[in-house]
Amino acid sequence: MENIGSHEDWKRCFAEIAPGLLLFARQWANSAADAEDIVQETFVKFWRRNHKIDNRALLYSAVRSTALDFIRRDSRRARREASAFGENDDFTEPKFEIEDETQRALADAISGLPQEQREVLVMKVWNDLTFAEIAIALRISQNTAASRYRYALTALKKVLQPQ
Amino acid sequence: MSDFSEIENDLRKLRPSQPSPILFQRVEEALTDCATGALAAPKRSEGASDARRPRMLLDLPQHWATWGFGVAAAAVLVVFAALSVQRSQEREGTIAQALQPSEARPSVNQVAPAALAEKFVPAGATRVVYNTRNEGLHFADGSRQPLRRVRYQARQTWQWRNPTTGASLRVSYPSEEVMLIPVSGQ
Repeated sequence: MENIGSHEDWKRCFAEIAPGLLLFARQWANSAADAEDIVQETFVKFWRRNHKIDNRALLYSAVRSTALDFIRRDSRRARREASAFGENDDFTEPKFEIEDETQRALADAISGLPQEQREVLVMKVWNDLTFAEIAIALRISQNTAASRYRYALTALKKVLQPQ
Repeated sequence: MSDFSEIENDLRKLRPSQPSPILFQRVEEALTDCATGALAAPKRSEGASDARRPRMLLDLPQHWATWGFGVAAAAVLVVFAALSVQRSQEREGTIAQALQPSEARPSVNQVAPAALAEKFVPAGATRVVYNTRNEGLHFADGSRQPLRRVRYQARQTWQWRNPTTGASLRVSYPSEEVMLIPVSGQ
């Protein structure tokens, strides 16, 4: 998984992590195309700067940083276009491959989570980061990361199993 | 966290959307390009990280020569434009005849794209109309047929992409159009 490997290694590595990275980037991007731009830019920078791809805390931190830069660059334009259309395209480009109504409800519930909980959830569940790695990537303590994850799961349970 | 095992299992069954095949192609091209550049250029030392370097819109360190040429071309254009303005001020009375179209607008349409054309290809164009105003009926000179004047305010965005590096360049600007639409007299 190191970046000193061959080009083919990198292709295989990227194929493994791209869906999770895209889902992570998608939290800040209005469209799948923007998320792909963010992931591409980050991944190529990572390779060029000789970072090890298995340093996942740094990788996700970089994706987050690139996404926030992207938002700053495009925020004015996006606001104007969103207001002109009167909608955004969140609903036309699903973040998950939905197979049934239960999964749709779950995906909707995830979208409704607070940002800070959702990003921890995405890193933990679909990218298999440890709380230690999440803590480094988000510059929070491990306890905070674990708490946010627990709050997210509690909120999802409430939504899906209302008592 | 055993209470959450069920919801965690449900979450893991959700599969993230797959990236488009074009993304793989773009990254592959960018990696290939970087690999080629790395062979040609001197290798940076391990400690010489450029993480603190200010970010740029187009972060293409492998192509400084190309960009240097572009900047030099732009500088020449600025000097040329300044000379044109000075000359036009000297001959103010005959400006319309003296200035050819190529002199009047030399910078954007001619030289700069030529310098960049090798690398950037058009990737998209959008036009978002955010305001439409009906300014009522008007009569053109000498015409009895009424025309409805409609003013559109829009934002045009053009995007280019470098297929080898994945870098993108976006230009966005406001535009305003007035359309005269014939109104039938039924």
